[in-house]
Amino acid sequence: MTRGDPAGVAHLYVHLPFCASRCGYCAFVVEVGREESRDAYLGAVLAELARERAVLGPLETVYLGGGTPTLMGADRLAALLGAIRPMLAPGAEVTVEANPETIDDALAHALVQAGATRVSLGAQSSRPHLLEVLDRRARPGDAERAVRALRHAGIGEISMDLMLAVPGQTTADLADDLAWVVAQDPDHVSWYELEFKEGSAIARGPHAPPDDDLAADLYEQAVQGLEAAGYRWYELANFARPGRECRHSLAYWHARDYLGIGVGAVSTLGGERRRNAPGLDRYMAALAAGDEPPRTREAVDADTRRRERWMLGTRLDEPLDIAWAGAPDHPDALDALEARGLLERRHGTVILTRRGRLLQNAVVQQIMDFA
Amino acid sequence: MDQSHIRNFSIIAHIDHGKSTLADRILQLTGAISDREMRDQVLDSMDLERERGITIKAQAVRVMYTADDGETYQLNLIDTPGHVDFSYEVSRSLAACEGALLVVDASQGIEAQTLANAYLAIEGDLELVPVLNKIDLPAADPDLHARALADLIGDDPEHVLRISAKTGQGVKDVLEAIVNRVPPPAGDPDAPSRALVFDSVYDQYRGVVAFIRVVDGEITAGQRVRAMATGSDFDAEEVGVMSPAMTPIGRLCAGESGYIVTGLKSLVDLRVGDTLTLAAAPAAEALPGYREAKPMVFCGLFPVDADDYPDLRDALEKLSLNDASLVWEPETSQALGFGFRCGFLGLLHMDIIRERLEREYDLDLITTTPNVEYEVTTTSGDLLEVRSPVDLPSPNHIEQIEEPYVRCTMLVPQDFVGAVMGLCQERRGAFVTMMPIENRQQVVYDMPLAEIVLDFYDQLKSRTRGYASLDYEPIGNRQSPLVKLDILLAGEPVDALSMIVHRDSAYARGKGLVERLKETIPRQMFEVPVQAAIGGKIIARETVKAKRKDVLAKCYGGDISRKRKLLEKQKEGKKRMKHVGSVEVPQEAFLAVLQLDGASGQ
Repeated sequence: MTRGDPAGVAHLYVHLPFCASRCGYCAFVVEVGREESRDAYLGAVLAELARERAVLGPLETVYLGGGTPTLMGADRLAALLGAIRPMLAPGAEVTVEANPETIDDALAHALVQAGATRVSLGAQSSRPHLLEVLDRRARPGDAERAVRALRHAGIGEISMDLMLAVPGQTTADLADDLAWVVAQDPDHVSWYELEFKEGSAIARGPHAPPDDDLAADLYEQAVQGLEAAGYRWYELANFARPGRECRHSLAYWHARDYLGIGVGAVSTLGGERRRNAPGLDRYMAALAAGDEPPRTREAVDADTRRRERWMLGTRLDEPLDIAWAGAPDHPDALDALEARGLLERRHGTVILTRRGRLLQNAVVQQIMDFA
Repeated sequence: MDQSHIRNFSIIAHIDHGKSTLADRILQLTGAISDREMRDQVLDSMDLERERGITIKAQAVRVMYTADDGETYQLNLIDTPGHVDFSYEVSRSLAACEGALLVVDASQGIEAQTLANAYLAIEGDLELVPVLNKIDLPAADPDLHARALADLIGDDPEHVLRISAKTGQGVKDVLEAIVNRVPPPAGDPDAPSRALVFDSVYDQYRGVVAFIRVVDGEITAGQRVRAMATGSDFDAEEVGVMSPAMTPIGRLCAGESGYIVTGLKSLVDLRVGDTLTLAAAPAAEALPGYREAKPMVFCGLFPVDADDYPDLRDALEKLSLNDASLVWEPETSQALGFGFRCGFLGLLHMDIIRERLEREYDLDLITTTPNVEYEVTTTSGDLLEVRSPVDLPSPNHIEQIEEPYVRCTMLVPQDFVGAVMGLCQERRGAFVTMMPIENRQQVVYDMPLAEIVLDFYDQLKSRTRGYASLDYEPIGNRQSPLVKLDILLAGEPVDALSMIVHRDSAYARGKGLVERLKETIPRQMFEVPVQAAIGGKIIARETVKAKRKDVLAKCYGGDISRKRKLLEKQKEGKKRMKHVGSVEVPQEAFLAVLQLDGASGQ
């Protein structure tokens, strides 16, 4: 079977690439400016959605990511969500990503009206000097205002994105961010380590990246602080109030099928992973002409699937069922890792210890062959 | 040809002082090659040698020269290898000559290597013709260097020829000097035949080709010939001269040089320095001076990828065909797997072989610390030759250890003499003598060869801003208080990192080494103690701290392939790591031993 679950794919990602500017650390498919293209892009996305409609079952989760999806404007977002609405299963999670400075009362209301249940705010930090290093446009106070506006509009859940291992970041900075984010009382927090890509704007900046030990200190500090505030560390970089985990992200980590539409979007459908090519104009032109957008396809064979299940499943704080994930390439590595206190096995499952989770990348490479 | 019209000579010169250019010019001037055929440095045929400016394989080229006296002479130019590692080969080449051109760069002056080879020539009773080359260079100081050159060989500065091999200026004077100053050969044409083998090469179609100088009698194609030292008999399939291509002439007479095609299948059957005679009428006594070329420096060569082991063996076999001084035997290391322990004439020889293996045979290699051959007397009275630290018996079984010593001759600008003497003292050198040569000092120390093979030459260069030059010759073994220094990773000894060191420097070496290893070994999932030990006693310890965090950031928008490919890329990087027990060790770690002094001595 190559076209996903018989009941239909239950997870939809929509990529909305527009941004006001490119952040120094960003390597995603984004389009800066291009305001004149937004109607045409909406049309293209709706056309692609119509083409792929057949693979979808009732949608349990929808995620509008970017880019800065809120730059599409309230009307276009409402149109998009309106087109999706008939496909939703009861109680579906519908997330929209947003930058704090783009949210006002009107937009917050429009999102809730259109059916968004969850907003993920790209706050990244409360510290002005770190926002500057990251090239973020938000000013102090923007995130607080956005949270208030969303609550006032009656949004179901709020998630906040933060970053650690930012050049120049100290443990004092992290303590400030921790206190600040807890004070906002979001339902969910994603706290990502900055990927420091050589040659990126940020790598050329005046600050060196934190060394390995400082980065580890910051990470542990974030984990401990959020846990103390009642958040569950349910995935390596994600924290939630009990019951408020991001169901869309969990679908990725549980290696479920998902449909991605929009420029640069990735789908996994049965034994195939496909990726829409980057390049806004080619994407829109193809769909305007009634064609499939330019894509690359990659077979996900049984071995790859097995390795991905281990790679993704060990990121979670729930036991990984070995029978479901598939046999480890190096079963003896499990013994060694268990002896070193990096994982525990129980009733045919594997779960990483706290120390093991911090080393998840190295741990999973001992268990599986990635080559 | 009558011996009075034969001259056999060689050219002694430091690297880059213009030996090959002068040789080419002589070929051109005597019409041995046309201008059209002329290409630079005809005599250095191998690319690697040309790149390094080194001639490894000696050859003999015959040219005919009609001198100013109206007579035509047969000149045999016998090329010599140009490096300290090959001093025995140099001595054999010189033994085939009656004279030598001593070529010195008119801007650089005499170098240690020139000096060493000049002494070899003087010992061999050769007539030396001093030549200053490159007088066309703006930096040339011919007067200064002519005086020094004349002093060195006890000649008149007026007799020093001043030439430019590049422009051809003065080269004819060189040819006249060869005819007039170098004595003709004085062998006995009627005595039983004796010919000196001064070089040999292996040709895949014709077998071993020997370059010879006939001293007495003659050798004719088709005769049964005997090599006196190895006892090999063979038919002289072809006898000829290089002019400069191989040209069969059927017969070589007393005083002449040329080649002989032996049909022998291995260079082992015919060694440089051996004497050829006729099987039917053998000479009673061989020519003097034969000795077996003995490897002085040893190291382990291991393929990075274990699958390359058969390729490495094939490559070593092929290189050995043309290099009798390269020796090797299989070696197994717990840390590095299957490989070979190889013996070389010296450090340069080792570098050349390693580079050829990597370049010509496309092999990725790990080289272990070079070491020398130790002579160990055990408590039970046995004598062991130890070429690898792994083979050293435990201390309570050792009665005594002897190590090879060399006499090092260094030429050093006055300002750096203190620095050089300091370096030699650090390396257990014993001062022998010092004397001025030109505006420099010749400094002579006796030192353990083991101290040279690490990074002595690099240190010498760096402490003299590149101005010092070095030559060394073996002077036999001496007893030393030596111990084996072991390195333990996570409690397990790593055989490939063991080394034999002097007792007094063991602590400093061990400390420096573990410090460097700590920097080289990446953090692992667990703490890795790095220890240095002597006979089970830990003398130094460092710790590679455990890695605390190793996670990949989010997979955005479900881009799972990107994350998986990141893991695949990391795996690819780890392939070049060696697993030593549970520790992943990068290749650089095995070279950390070499950088020891760079780390602690500066």
